[in-house]
This record gives sequence, structure tokens and C-alpha cells, in this order.
Amino acid sequence: MYVIVVGAGKIGFYLTRELLSASHEVALIERDALVSAVAAEEFGSIVITSDGTEPTVLGEAGAERCDILISTSGQDATNLTACQVAKYSFKVPKTMAVVTDPDHVPLFRALGVDVTISTTELILSHVEEELTGGPFVHVLPLRGATSGIVSMRVPSGSPVVGQPVSRIRLPQGTLLTAVIHKNGELKPAVNDPELAADDAIVAITPPEKEDELWHALTGEARR
Amino acid sequence: MTRHVMIVGCGRLGATAANALLDRGDRVTILDTDAENFRRLRPRTRLSMYVGDGTSHEVLRRTGIESVGAFIAATGRDTTNALAAQSARTTFGIQHVVCRINDPIRSEMYEQLGLTTLNPNQFLVTLVLQAMEE
Repeated sequence: MYVIVVGAGKIGFYLTRELLSASHEVALIERDALVSAVAAEEFGSIVITSDGTEPTVLGEAGAERCDILISTSGQDATNLTACQVAKYSFKVPKTMAVVTDPDHVPLFRALGVDVTISTTELILSHVEEELTGGPFVHVLPLRGATSGIVSMRVPSGSPVVGQPVSRIRLPQGTLLTAVIHKNGELKPAVNDPELAADDAIVAITPPEKEDELWHALTGEARR
Repeated sequence: MTRHVMIVGCGRLGATAANALLDRGDRVTILDTDAENFRRLRPRTRLSMYVGDGTSHEVLRRTGIESVGAFIAATGRDTTNALAAQSARTTFGIQHVVCRINDPIRSEMYEQLGLTTLNPNQFLVTLVLQAMEE
């Protein structure tokens, strides 16, 4: 795949390294001459010292044949503009933006950015999990499917505690794949293990069934 | 009819627009990240000035965006203006939004996306060409 990365800060730099080692073609665009010189030392001629929000710059970088544009700068305004120019001026099929201000996430989605990466939200989802045993952790969206892999902890008061996995009334289209005991032991769902409080479950579910899955595992409506 | 207009960016364009609107009798709320820039404005009763980032929804909300009738993104940076203007329109549902975009290709794109853009350079070029005709 051909990936254009905008911004050679920490995220852009290491992302580029990973993409190259996975044999993708990458162009890395960085406005700051010093930052870009450091990147060029590592990656060579794929580094372009210029403004990745400028249509002419993206055009010269070959945005027309680009599969994914990922904008990783620390400025939300820059990342939004790079993605919008890529999407609307060059018809780039997939655009991703790092979002610093979590308030901007719904706006970016509404304006056509395909994937938003909010560091605050990522950290928060893990903190919430630690604190409450609470909501789902979205482990991974699944490629080519609308479902995603989610994980959640079974609270101690749940009606499914003490029940075998096969007795849980799962929503349609949801697949419970494994149970992870709190000591770390992995129990495949096919062996029909009994659930204990604080076990984590791993399931594949479409987003619209998450509330039902939540209900099935806690006996409560999802907040 | 008195309007309440929010302006992001108190550079020459933002300040001039603010003064013109105030002269017409409108109410103006103006934001800039640098308090120094407010020196361009005379203190007026219908003018509120705030130091803050006009792309932050929190700042926009606190400075009263929900009660304005029009919004002008007038900073010197296209990317900032595009984010502020699209926040005003999409997140806060403001009907009249004007956005300064210096880059002609991007301003065309934003026009296609339904934003009203203002390109000072394009405008000046038109005037220069007109002056040369005369």
C-alpha cells in the first residue's frame, strides 16, 4: 500500500518506521526543516520538507494514488485540513487523524475523517477499565467487517457469575470467543468454562449490539 | 437589526471587521490567543474580547457561541480558520459562517463543502487587475 504520513514528530516517525518495515511505500511530509532533517537521516528521500496541508504539496507527493493518509501532527487544525484535502481534492480512500482535543472527535467524523485517534480517549478507556471493571475496551475493529473485538470484565454482582458460558443469552451476531480468568488463565469459550466475578470476556460484536451484550453480562442497562 | 457576531482572530482583518460591525450597531465577541492584538480595537460597550483558542469547543461555548447569529474565522492561518469555521457550522449549527482561506485551491474545496470562504489575496488580485485596466 502507499501511505502518506503528515508530521514527523514522535508518532509520525515511529509509524513511518513500522510501515516501511512492513514493506509499505511511504511518503513522510514534515514542515519543520530541523525535524524533517532528522527523519531524512533515518528514512532518506521519502521525507518531504513541506506543508502537508497544501494541495500542491500533497499532489506532488502522489496523493492521487495514495491508499491511506495519516495526519499525526500535534495540531488538530493541521490534521483536519490534511485529511479533508486528501479526501476531497484527491479522493484518498482512507484518512486518519490524530486528535488532541477529544471534543473534536465527533466533528472530525462528521467532516469525513475515516479514523480518529484520540490519545486522551485511548488512555481513558484503559483507565475506566482499571477503575470500574466497567465499559467495553474496544480491542480492535475488524477489517472488512462491521464487528469489532471488545473486552469487558464481569462484575461481581452479575447474574452470569457461576454460570457456564453456554448459558449466557448473547445478542444475535455476537460471538463470545474466550474468557480470561483474573489470574491470567485463558479459557476458550468452546470448553464452556464457568464464569467467575472479575473474569474478562473477549467477544466479537457489531457496535449496535454492545448495549445488549452489556446487559447480558451485567444484568443492568448500559449507562 | 442588531446582530451578534463572533470573530476568531484579531489581526487586521478581524479587527477591521469588528470595528465595521460595531459602527453598524452590531454586537461583537472577538477571540484571539494573543491579548496584544486587542490594541487594534477601541473599547466599546457592545464589544467583548476574550483571550482564548477559537478552535476549542470549550472556549467557544464559554464565550457564548450558542447565542451568536454569525461567525467569522479571520486568523492568518487557513487550518485554524477551517477548524474554527467548521466547528461553528457543524458542532454549533451557526447559519452564517465566513471563513478566511488564503490558499486558492483549498478555498475552492471548502466552497464545494458548503463553507463561505473569503480569500484576501484573490480579492486583491482582482482589484489590481481592475486598476491596470483603467
